[in-house]
Amino acid sequence: MIKIEVEHFTKDYGFGRGVFDISFQIHEGEVYGFLGPNGAGKSTTIRHLLGFSKPDKGHTRILGMETFTNYDKFMDKIGYLPGEIALPEGLTGYEFIEMIKELKRVKDDKYIKYLCDLFEVDPTGETKRMSLGMKRKLAIVAAFMNDPEILILDEPTSGLDLKMQQVFIDFIKEEKERGKTILLSSHIFSEVDATCDRIAIIKEGKIVAEFYATDLKHSKNKKYEVEFSSLDDLHVFRNLYEKSGKFTIINQEDNHLLININDENINYLIKALSHVHFRSFSQLKETLEDYFMKYYKEDRDFGGAIQWKKS
Amino acid sequence: MEKVIEIKDVTKDFGNGRGIFDIDLSIYKGEMLGFIGPNGAGKTTTIRTIMGFIKPDKGSITVKGMDAWKDSARIKQFVGYVPGEIGFPDYKSGTDFLKAIAEFKGVKDLSYANYLIEKLQLDPSANLKRMSKGMKQKTAIVASLLADNDIIILDEPTTGLDPLMRVSFLDIIKAEKAKGKTIFMSSHVYEELEKTCDRVALINNGRIVDVVKLDDIKNRKVTDFKIEFTNQDDYLNFKRLNYQIIRDQETYNQVTITIEKDRIKMLFNDLTNYQVKFIAEIKYTLERHFNELIRRGEVI
Repeated sequence: MIKIEVEHFTKDYGFGRGVFDISFQIHEGEVYGFLGPNGAGKSTTIRHLLGFSKPDKGHTRILGMETFTNYDKFMDKIGYLPGEIALPEGLTGYEFIEMIKELKRVKDDKYIKYLCDLFEVDPTGETKRMSLGMKRKLAIVAAFMNDPEILILDEPTSGLDLKMQQVFIDFIKEEKERGKTILLSSHIFSEVDATCDRIAIIKEGKIVAEFYATDLKHSKNKKYEVEFSSLDDLHVFRNLYEKSGKFTIINQEDNHLLININDENINYLIKALSHVHFRSFSQLKETLEDYFMKYYKEDRDFGGAIQWKKS
Repeated sequence: MEKVIEIKDVTKDFGNGRGIFDIDLSIYKGEMLGFIGPNGAGKTTTIRTIMGFIKPDKGSITVKGMDAWKDSARIKQFVGYVPGEIGFPDYKSGTDFLKAIAEFKGVKDLSYANYLIEKLQLDPSANLKRMSKGMKQKTAIVASLLADNDIIILDEPTTGLDPLMRVSFLDIIKAEKAKGKTIFMSSHVYEELEKTCDRVALINNGRIVDVVKLDDIKNRKVTDFKIEFTNQDDYLNFKRLNYQIIRDQETYNQVTITIEKDRIKMLFNDLTNYQVKFIAEIKYTLERHFNELIRRGEVI
């Protein structure tokens, strides 16, 4: 069952900024990762999904409802953790929690207490004086206190220390076990890697790749680097076995070969290599980061320079 | 080799087991030393002691032969430094702040600063107070490097940077290293240190528990392979051979073996007798190195 849906969604802010014709669907119980650098359009998409703004073109739907016109109907079913936390001033942490509790009509304190304990929230003291990490943890409690079925998380762990990042990752996994549908926008590879079922890479407002996380982790396509004992060995290997078509050679440097092969042909490669002399055999693994970087070659620049004018 | 920074037997005890204890660490000229450990382990305290913000209870720290505490004002002039938590002085814009730093360090030519600004895609004209975390971090990086100092000390410099900016930053640091600079960088991202450092020190509970050369990690004589067989017979027969099995997953017909790299050829000769489903290398990494130290109980 589809819980979150974005269909041909465009929001053009001009100057090439914005989001252009993106589509994706998130099914019940799925964790969907939205991976991209700052300014790629992650938060824009999320803010439209929450109904804060109206798409120029296309649709953003939650639970089948168009979000801009129906936000009052689904707001109590989603927990939203914004990328930058701004808490109301002049309140203590307790008062803030009470305020949200009333807004969300949460009757039971049990889950709030569970969240406060889990994330080690200390709600005493004014929100204004809290550290960045404490503010974020307070926002976590506020977003999830009504145990919503859909979680929308925008850079959720920025400002949390390593230990709390791990607590948060474990929390996401538990929520997934409980059948929650989760959209996680992030540029921290390790947390996307650890939690997401599917991942979209977003670049300059467009989705440039979408894939299952397991396909990357347990890819049947492997790259190996073989160092032959001599150039002669390398040539013998190439002459005898390359034309089989069971593997492809990506690169040759001196007596090193970079080979791409599918697991189903690995026995052929093992046999072939057993007939020649080689010094080393190692695997080159493609991480989520490597995969991401393939789509991102630096090609934009902006920003200014300092002029040295004495005042 | 010349020791640019020398930390000898330094203790700073904050009580309740917090602080740093008996730290001995030298950073040699032209070297890049990484510094890793959990939050609260003492990374920032060690760095702040080098910068002369904290006076050690005992022991001595010298930077280019000068005492880190007594000569701290002078040392700050010739060391590029990115602090762990950034609190900028009250300047209107990033540009004003960077100009003040340039003046303090006696820099007349801002072309290197401008190069860094471009490389990090920073708009320094923005209001310092309103900058996002990432922009503040970039401003601090530019401030630390604009004087082209020979010694660079970086306390978690990549926090708050997105992945593209992290790559740009690491490129800058690699270029600094290539110029022969002495660099000390803390991080909680193993891969970052793996890509840049000559050596990495691990700190835990205020004590240095290991200092490892990355060459030793990369050029080990042994490696691990995970091999899955297509059928159980082959899996069982392979297990009878004389390989050192470090992990055995019967349900998948899978073994992980440790093998000297010069015996891989022999392994392949043996494997021709079996049906292999896949073979994957389990790399020995910095992270694994430290985790195994901790697991073996060599780290308190």
